[in-house]
Amino acid sequence: MVKKNWREFARNNVVTIMFIVVCAVCMMFSGYTPSYVMYELFGRLSRNAFIVLALIIPIVAGMGINFAITIGAMAAQIACILVLEWGLQGFGSFLAAAALTVPMAAIFGFGIGKILNKMKGQEMIGGMILGYFANGLYQLLCLFIFDNIIPINNPDLTIKGSSGIANTIDLSKAGGMGGRLEKLWQLPVSQAVLVFALVIAAGLLIGFVRSHRKDGKKLGIQLGALAVVCVLMQLPVMKGLFSMVKVPMATFGIVALLCLFNVVLMRTRLGQQFRAVGQNRTVANAAGINVDKVRIIAITISTVLAGWGQLIFVQNLGAFQTYGAADQVGLYAGAAILVGGASVVRATNTQALLGTVLFHLMFILAPAAGKNLFGDAAIGEYFRVFMCYGVIALALVMHAWSSIAPKKKRVKAGDKA
Amino acid sequence: MQRVNVSMKQLIACVLIVALALVLGIVGVYGLSCRGADSGVKLLQDMRLQAVLNTAGTGAVDAYVAAEKQAATKAAREAGGGMKEVREATAKAETEARARAEELGIGEVDLSEVDTTALGTALSVMVAAQEAYYAEEARAQEAYIAQNKDAITVTDESEAAEDAEGDAAMEETIDLSGFVATEEMNRLSAEVDEAYLALCEEIKVIFPALTDDILASLKSTITGVMAASGDTFESCYDRAVASSGMNPGAFGVILRQARTFALTAVGLIVLALVVFFYAPLVKKMGVPRLIIGMFFLLLCLLALILNLSLTSQLGNTLVRLGMNGVLVLSMLPGIQCGISLNLGMPIGIIGGLIGGLLCIELGMSGIVGFLFACMVGLMISAVTGYFYGQLLNRLKGDEMSVTTYVGFSIVSLMCIGWLVLPFKSPIMKWPLGNGLRTTIGLQSTYKHVLNNFLSFEVFGVTIPTGLLLFFALCCFLVWLFMRSKTGIAMSAAGANPRFAAATGIDVDRMRIIGTMLSTMLAAVGIIVYGQSYGFMQLYQAPRQMGFLAASAILLGGASTSRAKISNVIIGTFLFQGVLTLGMPVANALIPGSTISETLRILISNGIILYALTKSGGDTRG
Repeated sequence: MVKKNWREFARNNVVTIMFIVVCAVCMMFSGYTPSYVMYELFGRLSRNAFIVLALIIPIVAGMGINFAITIGAMAAQIACILVLEWGLQGFGSFLAAAALTVPMAAIFGFGIGKILNKMKGQEMIGGMILGYFANGLYQLLCLFIFDNIIPINNPDLTIKGSSGIANTIDLSKAGGMGGRLEKLWQLPVSQAVLVFALVIAAGLLIGFVRSHRKDGKKLGIQLGALAVVCVLMQLPVMKGLFSMVKVPMATFGIVALLCLFNVVLMRTRLGQQFRAVGQNRTVANAAGINVDKVRIIAITISTVLAGWGQLIFVQNLGAFQTYGAADQVGLYAGAAILVGGASVVRATNTQALLGTVLFHLMFILAPAAGKNLFGDAAIGEYFRVFMCYGVIALALVMHAWSSIAPKKKRVKAGDKA
Repeated sequence: MQRVNVSMKQLIACVLIVALALVLGIVGVYGLSCRGADSGVKLLQDMRLQAVLNTAGTGAVDAYVAAEKQAATKAAREAGGGMKEVREATAKAETEARARAEELGIGEVDLSEVDTTALGTALSVMVAAQEAYYAEEARAQEAYIAQNKDAITVTDESEAAEDAEGDAAMEETIDLSGFVATEEMNRLSAEVDEAYLALCEEIKVIFPALTDDILASLKSTITGVMAASGDTFESCYDRAVASSGMNPGAFGVILRQARTFALTAVGLIVLALVVFFYAPLVKKMGVPRLIIGMFFLLLCLLALILNLSLTSQLGNTLVRLGMNGVLVLSMLPGIQCGISLNLGMPIGIIGGLIGGLLCIELGMSGIVGFLFACMVGLMISAVTGYFYGQLLNRLKGDEMSVTTYVGFSIVSLMCIGWLVLPFKSPIMKWPLGNGLRTTIGLQSTYKHVLNNFLSFEVFGVTIPTGLLLFFALCCFLVWLFMRSKTGIAMSAAGANPRFAAATGIDVDRMRIIGTMLSTMLAAVGIIVYGQSYGFMQLYQAPRQMGFLAASAILLGGASTSRAKISNVIIGTFLFQGVLTLGMPVANALIPGSTISETLRILISNGIILYALTKSGGDTRG
């Protein structure tokens, strides 16, 4: 029985296990020091974790991976352009862009939901094509409507000697929003862990006091684990490992809040409806849930969150490619969440975060490993692109397989009977 | 006879549009007829005369000023002044002379003030001579190009490489540096010179101050205003208005825009017809095909209005029809056998690419090389198609998203493949570093073997007979197959798998056959595409081709579950027609813009989206 469980586990998490192996191999051959890898990894985590978490709700609502989050990302970029055009500065400009993203992304999300409702069962490919289509509209907006029909007065934003929005938007000029969120509050890892542990412990205690079932043993184990992690992080070995890392507390705080939001939302009525619709649309409809409306809400929330995610991403980098930055967002985020062990029907916060870590670890290591193994960095580059697509393809194939297999078994059992 | 139901609103809209069309059409035709009639000729002639007078007048003023200046300089010298005094005196004389010239009205001669009959006759003779010269030049250049076609056609390779993603434009520039004027041209040129001298005599009558030197220096300006190479009435008119400074009034506008008015009227009548027959048309064609069809007509009219050569653009569309046709055709067996749009088509494309690479590597060329590449491509893609079909059989109902990502991952896996495969030929390897080039020229192998086979010219358009014949052959073979026992069984398996299984058809086998056929056609398709384009594109290029082919067949009226050969042909023609016409028209309207590229993205993805929304999704869960 135990053996069978192991096999089951391995089969369900084959993508994750494969990725851990790939990362380990790449790590061996990359020649990077662990502290450098950690430094890179934390940078990428703070940029990318949020947008990966934005994928969870549509998956739970049965719409698969929302490749249309590229459209949310475009909303964020339009917001950035507008904020720069209005000459807003500093941290306020970041908040303004975030506020501006919400209505735009919400409207886009509503439209996406409407369209995806017309192609149930094809949401993923539909979302992808929708992303391409929106990219065309976005080009139309940035190249031909901005600066031609809607005047743009900030000379940094436009193409020199022609019309339209410039190829690169620089956010890190004096007074720009680049890196503002990170610079709010930075701590070394050992202290950051303490802060987060304190917050989590406080949360656990409040939960303990307010819950009706006082499970002291569970609380003790949780608090103990926290304490052990804190102590471990104070060891010189760990400090050495994270010596280059400065944790941007605000960014990770926001990511933690989003995780909390996902958990809390799933416990509300709306969350239950998401799950009901995700499990079986016909049953949910029979139970009196307005399936179409619930799906639209799920996509709208995801699109707005994706917009914020992209905003965090571009302000962290301090610049973005106007016409290319959004293209791959859906692909990378989708691959990341699948690497963490999620499938197209089931996803959790832990899977999203684990996936982001593993996926970006591979992203950091693959070019260097490719160079050292084959003498050509391009091989590593192509390898990681292949892994992106391959992971998604594999996850889709596995899902299709596992959803057909039980049916076949049933048919066979029926034959025998 | 089916009665067409027309609502009141439609009727009113129709009547209004037709009325507008009639007004525009009458105005346009009137304008066109006036161009040849006395009133139109006179207007243009008057403007030209005024332009000549203006130019000559400026020359006269300059001559007068120069004479005054010279006199002033001489006077200052004689008075014994230094350099500074001389310069000051000259400058003073110049301003004074200009003011006096204005006062006297030396340069300003109005048409009504002088008798222009003699001048007008001389001018007409010169314009006629110029027109004859330019006609001869155009003819001679055309003959020269036709004679030395291959030697002087330069295809810009770097540009082609940049355009690697998606559908590339064929950028061919023609090098005319070797062109020498013919004798006939020299004779006509001499005639123009003679006519100009006669014109000068007449000008001197009006402006006695003008010397021969000044007139000689004005020659290029005057002749430039009168006629230019590749002239049309519109461009003549615009130049004459600009240099004469006259305001020709409403009649002039009618003359100038006559073509635009007439063509707009044609467009409006088509629009009225569409509004009138809206319901049956939508029923027959579907909204997107109607929109794109109308858009295509609009582009044709715009091309005519903007004086772009419509016939050569339609010729390009024909080339592109043959070039992309087989790729689009490869969608058909996939749709018919029930795997929906085969967005995993890049798998087949890679087979074809390997075939092409082997052909280069083995040094084959011409039609033999082409056939060899096709054979190798067919063999490789038959094997990959078989396994691909096996995979698809295990995920029925979920094919599209899976095939897309399987296709994408194979393409990126092959990116590594192109880097490490042990090809040796210097044509395809980077001169430095590892791996194959992103675009590989096919000049030495099978570029244009089909395009040039039996090709001939009609109305200045080269018809790529071989290419179209090959496409027709492929269509015919697929058509034949679809009517064979296996083909019908395959269609049945795609249309209703359960019913097909009940009648004893092996659905899985039929799906594998369909997938293999689709993959194999894709392999041949990319080789045909390559021979017409002149390049093979590796790495990321095959990725988007599935989408382009899918949107073309959907545009032709196929759905995600049903397709016919006619859908392939109509769809490819419309899609490629919009693309070929869209680029020059967009560039003429907004110079230097990439709006046609944006248009391509919007059209191709919009069509697929539309088809997807039709394919499923009831509101009840």
